[in-house]
Amino acid sequence: MKFLKWFKTQWNTNPLFSTTLALLVMIILQTLALGTDYNSFGAWWTSFCVNWINVLRNNASVGIVSLGMAFIIISGGIDLAVGSTLAMTGALFLLLTDSSAAGWLTQMHITGWLAFIIAFVLVILFGALLGALNGVLVADGGIPPFIVTLGTMKVFRSVTQYFMQGKAPVFPQEFLAFTSLRFGRYMIMPIIYWILIAAFLYVISKKTVFGNHVIAVGSNEKAAKLTGINVKAVKRWVYTITGALVAMATIINISRIGSMDYANAGAGYEMDAIAAVIVGGTRMAGGRGSIIGTMLGVLIIGVMNNLLNLVGVNPFLCEAFKGFIVVVAVLIQKKEATS
Amino acid sequence: MKIEFDHIFKSFGKTEVLHDVSFSVQDGQILALLGENGAGKSTLMNILGGLFPPVSGQVVIDGQPVHLHSPNESIDHGIAFIHQELSPVNDLRVYENMFLGREERNAFGWLNRESMRAQARKILDSLGIAIDEQSYMRDLGASHKQIVEISRALLCEAKTIIMDEPTTSLAEHEIALLFELVRKLSSQGVNIIFISHKLNEVKTLCTHYVVLRNGWKVAEGDMKDVETQTLSELIVGRELAHMQKAEPKQHDKEILRVENLSRGKDFQNVTFTAKAGEILGFTGLLGDGRSELFRSIFGDTPDYTGEIFLNGEKYHAKSTTAARKKRIAYVPSNRKENAIIPDLSVKTNGTLATLKRYCKFFLLQNGPQHDDFATHAADFHIKYADENDLITTLSGGNQQKVILARWINTKPQVLILDNPTQGVDIGAKQEIYEIVKKIAQSGVAIIVLSGEGQEIVRLCERTLVMFHGKIAGELSGDALNEQEIMKLATGANLI
Repeated sequence: MKFLKWFKTQWNTNPLFSTTLALLVMIILQTLALGTDYNSFGAWWTSFCVNWINVLRNNASVGIVSLGMAFIIISGGIDLAVGSTLAMTGALFLLLTDSSAAGWLTQMHITGWLAFIIAFVLVILFGALLGALNGVLVADGGIPPFIVTLGTMKVFRSVTQYFMQGKAPVFPQEFLAFTSLRFGRYMIMPIIYWILIAAFLYVISKKTVFGNHVIAVGSNEKAAKLTGINVKAVKRWVYTITGALVAMATIINISRIGSMDYANAGAGYEMDAIAAVIVGGTRMAGGRGSIIGTMLGVLIIGVMNNLLNLVGVNPFLCEAFKGFIVVVAVLIQKKEATS
Repeated sequence: MKIEFDHIFKSFGKTEVLHDVSFSVQDGQILALLGENGAGKSTLMNILGGLFPPVSGQVVIDGQPVHLHSPNESIDHGIAFIHQELSPVNDLRVYENMFLGREERNAFGWLNRESMRAQARKILDSLGIAIDEQSYMRDLGASHKQIVEISRALLCEAKTIIMDEPTTSLAEHEIALLFELVRKLSSQGVNIIFISHKLNEVKTLCTHYVVLRNGWKVAEGDMKDVETQTLSELIVGRELAHMQKAEPKQHDKEILRVENLSRGKDFQNVTFTAKAGEILGFTGLLGDGRSELFRSIFGDTPDYTGEIFLNGEKYHAKSTTAARKKRIAYVPSNRKENAIIPDLSVKTNGTLATLKRYCKFFLLQNGPQHDDFATHAADFHIKYADENDLITTLSGGNQQKVILARWINTKPQVLILDNPTQGVDIGAKQEIYEIVKKIAQSGVAIIVLSGEGQEIVRLCERTLVMFHGKIAGELSGDALNEQEIMKLATGANLI
């Protein structure tokens, strides 16, 4: 009885409760799906760890993008352009690091890790710039974010494909270490980047003026403005930060496979990120949401994909499950809000 | 049709807003429902309008007790509610607005425009009003919009029409038109419940009156047996009718000077000064432009012409952020819409304008933030369970005090209060007045914007009255009373 009461109050008052619960259920199912068909506990444990690290690593880049998306949605906006930004910043990264004679840094006789660092910084700045463009159009242009980013989504993708016609940049094999450096037998670098960024953004959201202002703008923009908060600056910043995070995600992706498909890279990232943010309990209309919830949201979808894969569900059906879980998540949150 | 209110009680939470109210209206009476803001008029009318039920007591229509659970049920009983702030769909035509939500359809489910148009025409003709039923709502003036709303009520065969301050946004000749219409309806046997603060208006139009004060019915009777003076005493209560006025004091240091400020239709050629330690009032009727004026001075709408000086230096209000940095504070009207951040805590709401102050290496330090908030919470007697609870858990009066704390925290030199006691109960109102007076003593120039004459008289030493975007006059000393304010606010001195 006591437990039921505790459960009910948590369910009604703690916005992360149902999300955590959902993740636990997923993890239990996933663990069961992994099976018990092993010779020893050691063998099972290894398989368990390998599976988990795969899940985390596969979701690291979309996870990083989701963190930015969470800020944007909490501020009352939305960014549909993250996938195209990923392709465009990725193209720049490849052009800069290209080790063939056509490579931009190679032509300036900059090679090796110095080239990587320069390319890294420039690409992050470029991502921030593309994000800032969205931000300025939303904040100063007064155009609804859905429309702005729908437009830039098309522009970024198309321009990228146009510029990359007939180009075949060669990505130096040594740079793959950025993502693929192994600790023991595990490739965990992307996971580390993801967790570090999440921790950083968690502090920003909870402990800084900016974090509070983002909530204020999303919760009641008019009141925020009449409190003397620079609403436009807040909006510009959330898109700028997201642009930089997308650039980080593209660097991770490229350093993993060494190339990019300009037509499809990042396609669907916007919807995956939005789905993760929503499943994580962030209110679509802005004002309420969290970094931790977003992490949980990414994991729920990631673990679910893994689970479907393990039990052998047809991959064509996976998206259907994803769609289903988003709707159910919002349904549950709605119940929480009204009770 | 006869409507009886039978021992109505109503409370919201612990606040009792209606206490044992009984009276009736019948046979085409024009009943004036009088009382201060917060006296319970709106609550009572909302009960009749089906928005919420009473805690006890009942509404009796033609001898039958009725339970009104929704506005539609109330309409079905022949009761129409015309709200103070109309909400017409401006992009639809007059007859479409009249039929909104009750559109007629033909056998195919298509709109039966011909029939609707004809019916609309018939009603407008019966009222003798020259409005084209085909014109778009947005092209109509305020009084015509009001008339369309009344026609809409007649269309559902309303036998009782509630009008909530219908004249506040109307000009003199429009008011005459409305009154003519009301009398006509009354002669046709339609009951009118007329809510208004303008006693002269009420005296000429209405046949009966009921006065509410703090949720109690304090008087009722025939309008011809009562004097306007008596009514005003009944409304405010005898003790308050002779209330203490703010004492005029000498103030020398000029803080804010505004010269020839104009912004489109909102306000024109406004010039005034505000001094340190002074409480300056700004009042007028709906649409007088006072809120818009101070929105500009606070930098929310910076596209004004004219000049503003702060401590003798020229200042351009280019954004709200700039205004805050110049230590101008602005507590807006409509707390819920313009001031409260519902997703932030009590403490964060109370310190939202000064968050930077609590930062060390970009990180908010809970200690100083808590101290700042707790100091003002104690000063203002803000009641809250936990400073980390959402602000929406507080009562209206406490929320207002939190917003006040938010701005006092900025140590302002000019404090603009727009409708500072909107939707707060009598007790909290009194407390807020005390707080404002105390802040003034510390040398802040305070500007109070209010539509309540009483509030202005009690709080302000000097008052500017606005009429249609212009300053109609200045009142202070003995001349500062509700009658003089009304005279200026209605433009009576200009005719």
